[in-house]
Amino acid sequence: MKFPSPSSAEAVIAVSGLSRHFGAKAALNDVSMFVSRGSVLGLVGENGAGKTTLIKHLLGSLKAQAGSVRVFGLDPVLDPVGVLGRVGYLSERRDLPGWMRVDEFMRYTQAFYPGWDEHYAAQLLEQFQLDPAQKIKTLSQGQQAKIGLLTALAYRPELLILDEPSSGLDPVVRRDILEAIIRIVAEEGRTVLFSSHLLDEVERVADHVVMLQHGRVVLNGRTEDVRGEHISAVLAFAEPLAKAPVLAGAHAVTGFGSEWRVLFGGSHLELEAAAALIGARVVEERTPTLDEILVARAGGKGS
Amino acid sequence: MQLRISVQDGAPIYQQIVEQVKYLVAAGRLKPGDDVPPIRVLAEQLRINPNTVARAYLELEREGIVIMRQGFGTTVAHVKTLLPRREKLRILAEPADVLLTNARHLNVGLEEVITLLRERDAAMQPESSK
Amino acid sequence: MNVGRLFWRTPTGAMLWEIWGRNKANFLWQAAALAAGFFFVGCNEHGASRDASANWAAAAFSCFLLAYLHLLVCCGYFEVDARTMQLSYPRRLLFKPVSTARLALMPMFLGGIITLSSFLIWTELVLRHWVNFTPSGLIWISAVQLSFFWWIQALAWSFPFPMGRLFVLIVMGIIHFLVWHMAQTRADAWSGWHWPILFALLLSALSVAWLGLKLMRRGKWESPSRISLFWTRWTYTAAQGRRQQFRSALAAQFWLEWRRQGLLLPAVSGGVACLFIAVAFLFRKISGTAGQSGDPEMAASLITFFVLPTLAVPLILSALLAPLMASFDRFHSTGELPVYIAVRPMSNGGLVLAKLAMALATSALTCFVTAAACLCLVLPEKGILFSKAGLVTPFGPVGFMTGCVPVLLLLVIWTWKNLVAGIGAGLTGRTWISVAFSLGTLYVVNFGPFLLVDTARTNVNFREVLLHWLTTILIACLAAKITLSITAFVLGVRRNAITARAVGWMAGGWLVCGLFVAGFAGHVCNEIHKPDVWIWAGLGGFLILPLTDLAIAPLALAWNRHR
Repeated sequence: MKFPSPSSAEAVIAVSGLSRHFGAKAALNDVSMFVSRGSVLGLVGENGAGKTTLIKHLLGSLKAQAGSVRVFGLDPVLDPVGVLGRVGYLSERRDLPGWMRVDEFMRYTQAFYPGWDEHYAAQLLEQFQLDPAQKIKTLSQGQQAKIGLLTALAYRPELLILDEPSSGLDPVVRRDILEAIIRIVAEEGRTVLFSSHLLDEVERVADHVVMLQHGRVVLNGRTEDVRGEHISAVLAFAEPLAKAPVLAGAHAVTGFGSEWRVLFGGSHLELEAAAALIGARVVEERTPTLDEILVARAGGKGS
Repeated sequence: MQLRISVQDGAPIYQQIVEQVKYLVAAGRLKPGDDVPPIRVLAEQLRINPNTVARAYLELEREGIVIMRQGFGTTVAHVKTLLPRREKLRILAEPADVLLTNARHLNVGLEEVITLLRERDAAMQPESSK
Repeated sequence: MNVGRLFWRTPTGAMLWEIWGRNKANFLWQAAALAAGFFFVGCNEHGASRDASANWAAAAFSCFLLAYLHLLVCCGYFEVDARTMQLSYPRRLLFKPVSTARLALMPMFLGGIITLSSFLIWTELVLRHWVNFTPSGLIWISAVQLSFFWWIQALAWSFPFPMGRLFVLIVMGIIHFLVWHMAQTRADAWSGWHWPILFALLLSALSVAWLGLKLMRRGKWESPSRISLFWTRWTYTAAQGRRQQFRSALAAQFWLEWRRQGLLLPAVSGGVACLFIAVAFLFRKISGTAGQSGDPEMAASLITFFVLPTLAVPLILSALLAPLMASFDRFHSTGELPVYIAVRPMSNGGLVLAKLAMALATSALTCFVTAAACLCLVLPEKGILFSKAGLVTPFGPVGFMTGCVPVLLLLVIWTWKNLVAGIGAGLTGRTWISVAFSLGTLYVVNFGPFLLVDTARTNVNFREVLLHWLTTILIACLAAKITLSITAFVLGVRRNAITARAVGWMAGGWLVCGLFVAGFAGHVCNEIHKPDVWIWAGLGGFLILPLTDLAIAPLALAWNRHR
């Protein structure tokens, strides 16, 4: 299995300079990102950072006010059929027709996709333990997520877009969904983009991570690179400090007295230099988790 | 083959896999000739990206721990590593740096570190030779 | 101590504030309707003839009816329950530390006061100019409508079965009409009974509402009922035998549209028609002429008061319900497309085509139901009507019956036209556009021609002027229609909302059908010995068939789908 490199693989999703305003509020501000074939992109950010807005642009539900959006090289607004026929989508709020039975919904969806695999659909139905005779409005939240995912997977789409696939689900259902996603990823040439608040899922499954904050891209790179660019360190001061020290390059500083924990964006040498400038000693260093990076960048004090 | 992946851990996931497989081989729980699970199966089992597993396997193959064969899957290598001595020491230098950095931060002296290394080596001897 | 502020902190005050807060925009619509009513009053004052006065009365009364229905919906204090997808009491209030009696009675009293005041305002300020209300008559009819309003609330809150609800509502409607009529006729057999019966109705409405809420609070209707579960499983097993796959994506979309909206219009038309039939039957019974057929006055009043309104019902309902037909999922909160439709790989043209095909099927079914209802209405008087029919056409009653077929076709086309116009506006997803359009269609396109014909019939001067300018007006309308359609088509093709081939089909179909209708209209004009009217009939034939609406619909959907 080869690692997809940007030069050899074509970009399945190409967003460049995308901006979107809702009234006075800027939901997206000059967002650019590229997703190559066969990779898994994790989209992270706080609530309201613009993840769902970005995903809606990819599906053609929102028109680009500035910049361009291309999926499979096509504009989703001008050519909805060409794009949506190859995309499988699971929305955050599931948004399913409650009045349909499970089997009716599968039959309805099947009519739109020539590549629908009946065997695979039946297999998923059994694996997800869904009763085809039940009305969708009587299903629990986890079951609704499962039927939504089933109808997005059954025609083996080239691109799978999932908006918060695990939100509101118990750990058992989350496991099922993650396994289904990984099985998709293992098939050649299939691309996955998913947004999630469960950052340990993102770290496990995603090749690339894009972090949005207030509509801007603040992090964009391979998962391990993104983590490697940050250091979580403990600084010790000679004297206890009354308030948090200001460290250049730190995203968040927490602590009390003479020991303060910082989340620093940069290399080890830069950290030592910055610490020396304010008269502190680095006593502990480790690579932070994506969770800590997100929280620090979202609410931390510092640059 | 039972591995445990921790996202909280500082190391990248593929490295954790590499380390744990190497540990299992060194401790004798994986014997030469044993089958290692295919990439898809391990990815589903651990619920991680198959690319990560593939990368780990490539790294293990590069270091001579496993052999990947088309159609036959992946097995633990019979022969010991064929790398030149220089290359071996270079590989060992990195974890040594991590160990020494931590020791320095914890104010543990070099002699104590060497004693610790001897103890850990004794504990890791394969069951059969004890 | 600020008593005012203390009041707002009580549950009653909170409920009152919620009704006000939720419906601020709706009260503006109410004010607009009242203003329209005043406008019609003014027209009436300045007008001269009595017949015109009847027209203004009809217009004002229709305004009142729409405003009143709208107010019922606003002040009824119901919400769509997301889980069961039905109208019911707002569930969140059931968890508040308030007694069930207060939860039930407060909205009923508040809503009752609001609707009563609105009713009194309308009757005193607007309707008084045409109808004489005695004080006791006013009190009586206010009480009857209050009881009906409370019954609507009680059923909406406490009865979770949609079909059963509708049936009980129709029965209650008939009962209320009977009670009202009882007082009107002052039939001796019933004298003195009408007030006690009304009190019984009022009290039972309050009790049903209170009981229903109590049961809901205890969770009686939490899980789907055994009947609905059984029904679902039965339909599932029955469906296993049939073909498993749709023939095409368009067939699947048509199936969705039909299942969701297809039976709405026929059901409501059928319900109203049933009401008419029941009222006609009771009318005959009560006025003491039961069993005596052959009375020409009875036949004439039957036609005027029952058959013609029944025929008009599909037209009015289609104009009013078209925004509902335009939505893909009635209970979706915003006008946006639901995700499971927006993400389908189907072009906007395809989605619109499925909807229009469903509209045609539903119009056909509605008119079939209406024709059946009319047949039921005229059956008791068929002897005298057939003999009268023989006088109208030279072919006798059989000719008259076959002549009814084109009339029915015209009804189907007109209903479809109303639906298409409303669908085009409704697909934009912006509520104010679809509501304005639907009201405009109702008054301008449906009532307008009748008003014109009526005025022309009575006012000779107006008739002269109209006949002089009619050809020009019709040609101008046709030119405007063609220009708008061409613009919409061009825009649609450029924005990839519709293919050039589909445009060809639509325009070609419109031309062919228009020629057909024009030709048939000319033939009819020849038959009824009025050949000069042919050109107006021809132009009218082209104007009645929808083209602009067909052109605008894909654009509207594209505007909604890609915001």
